[in-house]
Order: sequence, then C-alpha cells, then structure tokens
Amino acid sequence: MSDAEKDFYQVYEVFSKKTDTAPLQYQFSLLAPNRELAFIMAKENFFRREQPADIWVVKRDDIRTMTQEEREGIKNLDKAYRETKGYGYLKKKWRKYEQEQLTEKDIMGGGNS
Amino acid sequence: MESAEYRSSLIELVYQLADDDFILSYRGSEWLGLAPHIEEDVAFSSISQDLMGHAALYYSLLEELGEGDADELTHARSPEKFRNAVLMELPNGPGSYLEEPNYDWAFTVVRNYFYTLAKKVRLHSIKEHSYETLQQIVQKISIEMSYHLMHWETWFDQLMNSTPEARRRMTEAIDVVLKEMKGVFSYGDDGEKIVHLSLIESEEILTRRWKAILSEKVDHPLEIEMSSLNGRNGKHTDHLERALSTLSEVYQSVPSAEW
Amino acid sequence: MEAVYQQNIDHFMDRINNGEKIEADDWMPDDYREALIRLISMHGISEIMGALPEKEWVPKAPTLHRKLAIMAKVQDEMGHGQLLLRVAEDLMAPLGKNRDDIMKDLFSGRLKFHNVFHMEAPTWGDAGIIAWLVDGAAIISQTMMLGTSYGPYGRALKRICAEEVFHAQHGESIIMALAEGTEEQRELLQDALNRWWTSLLMFFGPKSKNETGHSNQDKNMQYKLRTKTNEQLRQEFLTKYVPRIWSLGLTIPDPTLRFDEEKSEWEYADPDWSEFKKIVTGNGPKSKERLALRVRSYEMNSWVREALGKRPQHI
Repeated sequence: MSDAEKDFYQVYEVFSKKTDTAPLQYQFSLLAPNRELAFIMAKENFFRREQPADIWVVKRDDIRTMTQEEREGIKNLDKAYRETKGYGYLKKKWRKYEQEQLTEKDIMGGGNS
Repeated sequence: MESAEYRSSLIELVYQLADDDFILSYRGSEWLGLAPHIEEDVAFSSISQDLMGHAALYYSLLEELGEGDADELTHARSPEKFRNAVLMELPNGPGSYLEEPNYDWAFTVVRNYFYTLAKKVRLHSIKEHSYETLQQIVQKISIEMSYHLMHWETWFDQLMNSTPEARRRMTEAIDVVLKEMKGVFSYGDDGEKIVHLSLIESEEILTRRWKAILSEKVDHPLEIEMSSLNGRNGKHTDHLERALSTLSEVYQSVPSAEW
Repeated sequence: MEAVYQQNIDHFMDRINNGEKIEADDWMPDDYREALIRLISMHGISEIMGALPEKEWVPKAPTLHRKLAIMAKVQDEMGHGQLLLRVAEDLMAPLGKNRDDIMKDLFSGRLKFHNVFHMEAPTWGDAGIIAWLVDGAAIISQTMMLGTSYGPYGRALKRICAEEVFHAQHGESIIMALAEGTEEQRELLQDALNRWWTSLLMFFGPKSKNETGHSNQDKNMQYKLRTKTNEQLRQEFLTKYVPRIWSLGLTIPDPTLRFDEEKSEWEYADPDWSEFKKIVTGNGPKSKERLALRVRSYEMNSWVREALGKRPQHI
C-alpha cells in the first residue's frame, strides 16, 4: 500500500443536534480522506432512521481531549461550596424560624405561590 | 382525469421516471459490499434505497392509474415494456455482483452525478407544471434527491481534481456516459404529446438547463448522444433482460405466492 | 519498572471491578488490548463479511417492500461493521496499524470471521433463516456484551443492538410469509433450516477448552469483556427459538434434541468441532469466494483511495 492510500483513512468525529434547540451531541467517528467526504458520509452512517437538525464533523487531530490522568484528577474535585448540596443544612435553620427554605423553583421563577 | 390521450401520455411519462430510478437502484444495489470503503458502502446504499423508494412512489401512481399491481409491474413486466433510458441498464463493469465483479467507480460516479442532475432538472420542470398527484410525489422525492446530488457532486469534484490517473478514468467515464445521455432526456415516440399536454417541458429545454449547470463544472465538451437504443420506446440492450431476470427470480419461482 | 507496572495493573483491575469503563487512550495491559483487538476486529469483519451472503438476495428479493427492507438490513450490517472496525482501529493505532492492516489480515487469513458467513445461501429461504436465526443468535451474544468494560465497544454495541430489533422482525416477517405460504414455500424454509441448523449451534463456539485446544473465554470474563460462556449463550438461543421453530410446524434436523427438565437444559447433538475449525480457518463451502469478493473490492478501488489520499487535506 502506498502512503497516499494510507492517508485516505483520516479519523473524523461526528456530532449532531436532534432539534434546532437541542445541544450538540457526540455520535461516533468515521474514516474519510477529507472534511467534505466526511460530511457526506456522516449522515448515512449515523442517521439512517432519524433526521438530525444539524451535523458537525471535526478532524480528530484538531481536538484536544483529556488524558486519563486529567480525567481521574477532575473526578476528585470537591466543590460543595458552589453547589446546592453544600447548603442542605439551611432547610432546618429556616424551619426554626417557621419559614420554608426557598426552592429552586421559587428562586428561578415559574412558581407564583 | 382529462382525455384518454392525456392519461396515456401521463402513464408513459411516469413509467419513464419510475423505470429509470428502479433500474439505477438495482445497479446501485449490486455495489453493496464492494464500494471504495465501508463508510461509502453505507452511504451509497441509502441512495439505492431512496431510488427504489422513489420508483415505488411512481409505481403506486401507476397502480392508481389502472396499470396493475406495483410488484407485478416490477417483477413480471417484459423488457420491451420497460421505459428506462439505456444508460441505467449498463452494467457497473465486467463480471457480476456475485462473481468476479470488476466494477468501475469512475463510471458509477459520473453516471449517478449526470443522471441526478438530469433528474433535478426534470423534477423541477414537473413541479412547475404537470399532473397534480405527480407533482406531489415529485415534491417528496426532491428532498432526498438533493442529498444524492450533493453526494455525487462531491465525489465527482474530488476525483476530477486529484491524481492524473483518477482524472483519466473520470474523463473516460464521462465519454461513455455522454454517449447515452441523450436517451435520458428523450421521451420516446410519444414525446411530442407529453410536452404538448404540459406534463413536462421539452427535451431541448431540459437538456439546455442541464448543460448550463454542468458546463460551469466540467471543462469538457458536453455533446450528448444516444448511441445504442432508445429505451423510452422499449428498445433495450441484453443487459436489461439479465437484470430483470435477477430482479424477478424469486417472485417468478412460485407464481401467485404471497411473499 | 516492575513496581510501576504492578501499580498500573492494580489500578486497572480496580477500575474494572468497580464497573468503570476503560477508554481508548487509557492505560491498559497488553493482553487486554490484544483480547479486545481480536474480539472486536473479528466481530467487525464478520459484519462486513456477513453482508455478502445476504447481499446475494438483495436484488432478488421477491417484492418491492422486501427489496427495500433487505437492502436496509444489509446496509445496517455494513454500518455495524463500520462502528466496530472504528473501535478496533483506535485500539490498533498505538501499534501503528489502521483499517488497511485489518483488510490485509483478513486477506491473509490471520483475521477470521464467523463460521456462519462461510456457508452457502442458495435460496430465498436462506435469506429468511439468516435474518431470523443467525441474527437471533447474534443478538444474544451482542446483548451479553453490552456491559463490557471497554467503553467504546459498549457504545458501539448499544447502537447495534437498537437496530437489531428491526432485523429480528424483518427476519420473522420473511419466514412467517414462507411458513404460511404454498407447499413450495414451506419446503424452501424447511430446507434452509436443515442447511443452517449445525452452523447455528456452532455460532456460539465450542463448550470449553477440551474441545478445540484453546479458548479465550476465561480471560475475557476476568476482564469483564463477556459475562456468559458459549454454552450458556447456546442454551439461551435454544430456549428462545426451538419452541418457535416447532410452533411453525418445522422440523429441526436433530432427533436427539430435547429439553431435560431435571438438568434444566437442552440436550442436542454436538456439532463436529473439527469441521467448525476447518470452516473458520477459511475452508468452508463459500470461504474462498466471499474472500475473493472482498479482495476484488479492495483492489478495484485502490486507485480511488490513492487519488483522494493524495489530495491536500483541508480544502
């Protein structure tokens, strides 16, 4: 096999959106010699039964991913100070003052009660 | 429905549209498992399925028009009743899909690209003015057709602009396809009536539109010919007979069975 | 060096035992990588080779609807091959190998494909039996591996299994029409079943080490690549399909086949495993022809890959 033939097999990652308002979702990877062919392959290889609202293809070499070390490191981060679960004790406190703690719904709106 | 003449001309045109897609779908399905790489195999198969689906829509219209059951039309009609252009029935290359295929990807790309572009021009003309039910069908088909066009156009552009060998193969393929391309635009002996009844515009107009689009892309004289037979009149090469006997092998094996 | 390796392997086994998923770029022991490459490239190439016997029936399918359905089904098989080969290729990349090497390994006989795809499929009845029972067998072994410790394989299998439901029903629909059809059609179906029965039993592989001399089952279970043995899978298959085959009035070509209530398992005539070995090493009835088709496809399109491989990448 010539080098050129080997270059035919470039890895492209495929992402899609189910609907216009949906977030982009990872689908799978495919091999193609360039971006245009990767794009025309993407639809039929990963969306044979559903019609996506949008398709992105990205050459894998252009993506910076995490190493195993980085992924494992990030898992152990404790950020209770910036999440609601770090403030669960407030519920009891408010009860003491005969008040209910405001729920997420109250704070974010949408509840009129 | 209007006059008997309108009806028979409409039926004639629908057969031409149906049989082109049906036979080309068959040629596409022969490539299954043999395409240049696996991803393309999957993508190409979708196109073949779509083409068969388009043909099925036309055949169901023929059913409505009293031509008989769609499965019978596709599996029990004799070759001289088929109205596809000869270009569709030409084999993908030497050998058969089961043994020693030596298929030509360049020919497949050019045939499909040139045909899909002609189909686009044809469908566009029908959308503007024709029989209403046919217009509705064409509307549905157009969406998938534009994907097919993008697919073949990408392959065409890339292979034309790559290695000298690829360009040579593509140029050879263009010559082969052009030699039968006139047959795609022909409406056969009933053509004048079909055009006169405003079912579709004339061969000349459609050919001109097709050439106008293609000449932007191809630096190659676009003289089209119909060098063998006019399939629109039911004249075909032996390739069609062989294709049809494969397509109907099981159907014919137990006549009157449900499958 | 050895201490580091031990630390790595301990961490790796902890992850596996905790049910974590291993990703392509993670550290993994060589034999885990090798086992995965062997398993997944064989699975992937079997899907690709599996398209060939069914493909024979694509143009011949007896109605427009059947033509469309079987085309879609064979396309899905190619698509499954695509997913699996991608997973295998990413595992091979650190060894400097890619899809081209997979194809070369297939051509040289180093990479084997499933026994069933070496067999003949001479009638439309075979197309029905393949879609119903071969796919039925494949579904059983694939769903078993959904929980695999290797993340990318699990994700590919999830996509694959979702489509297999359509395949199963496509197969049932074909055989149902034949079973309820004319005398000739029923015969077509019975003949196909007779042809395929032994291959179906073989599909899951031999019982244990004693029968063929080697087996990768144990290691694969330890690495959580699989959770059931070949025999367990075969028993599941028999439980699922034998009553259905019988209910259609078909005869299974094994007079000894019976369910042993006491042992709560199926008794069946064990297939000839030396024959199995002969088949999977490329000496089955259709091995050479199918491989030749694949080689042909590779060679006749080599100019296309060469042409586009040479084009500048970002246009």
